[in-house]
Amino acid sequence: MALDAIFRDQWGRVLATLVGILGDLELAEDAAAEAFAIAAERWARDGEPANPTGWLITTARNRAIDHLRRRRVLADKTKLLARDLETGPQPPEALMDDAATIPDERLELIFACCHPALALEAQVALTLRTLGGLSTDEIALAFLVPFETMSKRLTRAKHKIRDAGIPFAVPPDHQLPDRLAAVLSVVYLIFNHGWGGGRVDLAAQAIHLGRALADLMPDEPEVFALLALMLLHDARKAARLRDGQVVPLDDQDRALWDSRQIDEGRELLQRALVRGRTGPYLVQAAIADLHLHKPRDWQQIAALYETLARQTGSSIVEMNRAIAVAEIDGPEAGLAILDRLDLGHYRYFHSTRAELLRRAGRDKEAHNAYRRALDLAQTEPEQRYLANRLAETADS
Amino acid sequence: MQYALLAYSPPENTDRAARPIPGDLAGLLDRPEVTGWARLHADESATTLHNDEGRMLLTDGPFVDSKEYLAGLILIEADTLDGALALAREMLRETRPGTAIEVRPILDGRFRGA
Repeated sequence: MALDAIFRDQWGRVLATLVGILGDLELAEDAAAEAFAIAAERWARDGEPANPTGWLITTARNRAIDHLRRRRVLADKTKLLARDLETGPQPPEALMDDAATIPDERLELIFACCHPALALEAQVALTLRTLGGLSTDEIALAFLVPFETMSKRLTRAKHKIRDAGIPFAVPPDHQLPDRLAAVLSVVYLIFNHGWGGGRVDLAAQAIHLGRALADLMPDEPEVFALLALMLLHDARKAARLRDGQVVPLDDQDRALWDSRQIDEGRELLQRALVRGRTGPYLVQAAIADLHLHKPRDWQQIAALYETLARQTGSSIVEMNRAIAVAEIDGPEAGLAILDRLDLGHYRYFHSTRAELLRRAGRDKEAHNAYRRALDLAQTEPEQRYLANRLAETADS
Repeated sequence: MQYALLAYSPPENTDRAARPIPGDLAGLLDRPEVTGWARLHADESATTLHNDEGRMLLTDGPFVDSKEYLAGLILIEADTLDGALALAREMLRETRPGTAIEVRPILDGRFRGA
């Protein structure tokens, strides 16, 4: 495996274990960064060690002990064993021979990063930094904020975790459903942010996080369902754009869909389905799956959107139900649902409405709605698509 | 009579935990009239719970006062923030709608027995 692939793979694992040992996220992060830098130099020269994870953890731990010795005052504030400070650094091979004996504490770390006492934007940034291994630069770029802003956001969140006593722990059963929902929504938010631009592949990051969660929580159907949902959406990535324009699903070249990813998504969806509980991600994954069939079963899609609307109370879900209803009962039936929604700020509301108005033969209204959608469009491929629709409706 | 003295600090760039209490102030805090004191972590470490018509809303950050007034001070012990929030939520549920409780970790303090 190439070094950067190992790094991406190991960063979250190594960092989580270090937080478990050191009890301080900032200290753990600094130590992990040093260990990865040492590894980049040494492994390139001497080859990769037999147990990369153990090597990285031991090296980072030794670096941390070094730092703590220089800052003795801090030592008593960490969970680091006094014995470690006495015995000093150990050779990287001595501590662990087998990766399986190293406790995986990524779950503890992700629940701390997605703690509700942190602002959502801080949860997202911190999750990408700690579990995803993205640099502050990359996260700033992905969210279009200055480096300084993102750096402050991360530092503040790390200090809050330390000072306010946010636990590194998997929540007890009675809190788990709410807390897990918060974690999943952070991952899905990262995924959706990755749909629009190509600056940093956040969709791949989110899938990576989703896989880690599915590994760590093999009994939670919503975890598989979210991963299935992301895989099924992401499988169409290559077909979504043609000549710099977004392509509607029905016009997409199916040969460009990633069939391996679709199979994997469907398999995960089945695994979630057999567990019986229908959470919002399961319903969304089932809908994503139905959208991949040709012809599409609009009756079922509409019914599932109705279930989802009841679960979430979301107007955007209602908007999607309107699209399915329009396929079954005609555009006017869909428009009747749209008219009840307060989504004037949402760009896809206007493009959806425009499309249904066009199909209903209400071209002038369609033209105005396309113009409104174009005003709100955020990416160039969307703008090109909408500009073409706008021109078409102008002719008629 | 007993009094509570509430201290407000200007924003600072240095790490509050690394700065000792100024020597002369430490001396004053040792005076017999001072029955207890607590030095709080900076407001960045705060979490606020609001009683919004019976729903307990949680936000990241300190309480931003508009027309509410500071009504009380409660000192508790908990293993983690989760424990502190659970107790604060239980108390807040018994208050009038519109009440808020800011949960702030204590950096350092001393309390004399009653």
